[in-house]
Amino acid sequence: MTHPSLHDLLRQQFPNADIDSNRPNLMVGDLAEWDSLAHFNFLMRIEDAYGVRFDMEEMSELKGLEGIAASLAAKGLKI
Amino acid sequence: MLNKVRITSTSNLLPGNDGWRSLADHYDLDFGEYGDWPQVLMSAEAAPVIWLCFLEDLVPPHIVPDAAIDNAEPFDDLLRPLVQALGKRLADTAAPTLVVWSAWRPASPVRAARDGDPWRKLARHLDKTLNELAAGNAGLFLLALDDVLATSGLDACFDSRNFYAARCRLSRRGIEAMATAAAAVFARISEPAKKVLVLDCDNTLWGGIVGEVGMEGLVIGQDGMGQAFVDFQRAALSLKQQGTLLAIVSKNNENDVHDVFKNHPGMALNMADIAAWRVNWREKPDNVQALAKELDLDLDSFVFWDDNPLEREKMRHALPQVLTPEPPVDVTLWPGLLGAMDELASFTASAEDRRKTEQYRHRADFIAETETADNEHDFLVTINLRPHIQAIDRATKARALQLCAKTNQFNLRTRRHRDADLTQLIERAGDGAFLVNLEDRFGDHGLTGLVIALPAATADIAFLETFLLSCRVLGRHLEAWMLKALIDILSHRGVDWLVAEYVPTKRNVIARNFLSDHGFIALSGLPPEDRDRVQAATAEMACGGEIYAANLSSLSIPHLDLFSHDTSVSA
Repeated sequence: MTHPSLHDLLRQQFPNADIDSNRPNLMVGDLAEWDSLAHFNFLMRIEDAYGVRFDMEEMSELKGLEGIAASLAAKGLKI
Repeated sequence: MLNKVRITSTSNLLPGNDGWRSLADHYDLDFGEYGDWPQVLMSAEAAPVIWLCFLEDLVPPHIVPDAAIDNAEPFDDLLRPLVQALGKRLADTAAPTLVVWSAWRPASPVRAARDGDPWRKLARHLDKTLNELAAGNAGLFLLALDDVLATSGLDACFDSRNFYAARCRLSRRGIEAMATAAAAVFARISEPAKKVLVLDCDNTLWGGIVGEVGMEGLVIGQDGMGQAFVDFQRAALSLKQQGTLLAIVSKNNENDVHDVFKNHPGMALNMADIAAWRVNWREKPDNVQALAKELDLDLDSFVFWDDNPLEREKMRHALPQVLTPEPPVDVTLWPGLLGAMDELASFTASAEDRRKTEQYRHRADFIAETETADNEHDFLVTINLRPHIQAIDRATKARALQLCAKTNQFNLRTRRHRDADLTQLIERAGDGAFLVNLEDRFGDHGLTGLVIALPAATADIAFLETFLLSCRVLGRHLEAWMLKALIDILSHRGVDWLVAEYVPTKRNVIARNFLSDHGFIALSGLPPEDRDRVQAATAEMACGGEIYAANLSSLSIPHLDLFSHDTSVSA
């Protein structure tokens, strides 16, 4: 099974934003609507799409796509 | 543009979360500020409100054991802030309020085994308190969230990480299940349930094809699958009790199907449970269209249940207005699925709803006989029309509200009164507000007419606030009798003029003809001094429609010889 890319999930979370696929490490605050609440919802969307769960610490520490990708890789997922 | 719904909660709701989709697709969701529920409930917010209430947020669980002694008073104290805020909103506005409440917290089954858990007692007390409030408030709707979430698993729907990280008690799945259930309740507030369930026969009501295996070979009533088919029929019967009409559309020989209904000992449904039949070899969409015509109902009030995927596809293609669900291949799931279908579920069922099938059959018989009668008047004399007036009281008010909500054709002003304003109107109208019951040779049609005539600014003038007649008794001139009954009441009070307003809608032209056919004169046709007086006395009550007036002393009403004229009120 292939998972949607993190950029795709970001587009689903922010359908009205202009998201640059060439920027690998987009972070909280890079889009006007990407605040901490929206980030929480984004992480839950990733959990849903990848069938993983981030613990409390990860929820507060993962702020950008690269860190999220590394965490998913550490959980044994290919993205 | 989407209608606004104000959402507020005792905890965070993660606005923007994907789980909200089923509500967000249909409404403009306004989440306000975190924790603003007291302000929202106290502010007479005009939009519908969804209040998510987690008991744990309002009552710290550790204080409950101290409060839990044998009487309920401490519980009432704990719940007072909640009840007061909610009561304030219900008193201030008739706009819908949906309370979604949860008392779930992890607990040992051991404590509950001897009812030693004070938290559970408090939860039951909240349940009781909310239901009592709802019984007295037509604008209050309840969603017991824990029951809803149990289907998906409470452990999967609550999320302690989300709570400690973001003050949201629910998981994404929990938000989704809650939003879907709330959307179903909201859909029913704005539109009525589907009215007709169309059922196939072979492999739907029973296992096997009657034309091939004969009545003896059918799977129905025995243990195993036979029991599943019976339970599916019972689920349909229970919908019928709630007011859904059942119809049969089957490709079969009619005699074979009737034979099973009449003579198979395993059948739960019998002939009298079915409002209309189409058992023939025609295409099913044609048959459903014919049923819609026969029952005088729109196609979008039909649900079509058939085991055959090809028939379902044909129906969806030809009649997309008809709701055609996709039942699973496993028939053992059907009884539960049919019983739980949101589209067929209503908030309450009145005594009238339970008798609907019978009444639609009377109506079909009446139409069939009218069509063959040579002379309308002579025919109507033979059916022995026996109307009577029924006062609007506690027992009958629900029916009056239902008539206001549902009557589209014979309805002068189509005012969709809610509970509170109807109560006020009835008070103002006194005996000028009443329901009408009709019996005739075709049966008891129940409460089918509603009249509300209000005193106008001048004592000798009355205003016809509501005048409506259910479509099931149209064609009998009952409206003439209703008008006469009202005039008798008004004349006793010294009223000389009855003013009526016709507010046109897409479907109520029949009501305009009624006015001109029964002696009402359009305002412009009145002598100027009468016109000015009538207009001045009723200006505040009219709402922009066409105004008609009738002088009661000179009014001659047609068709009254059809009725045994008794306008006394039954208590």
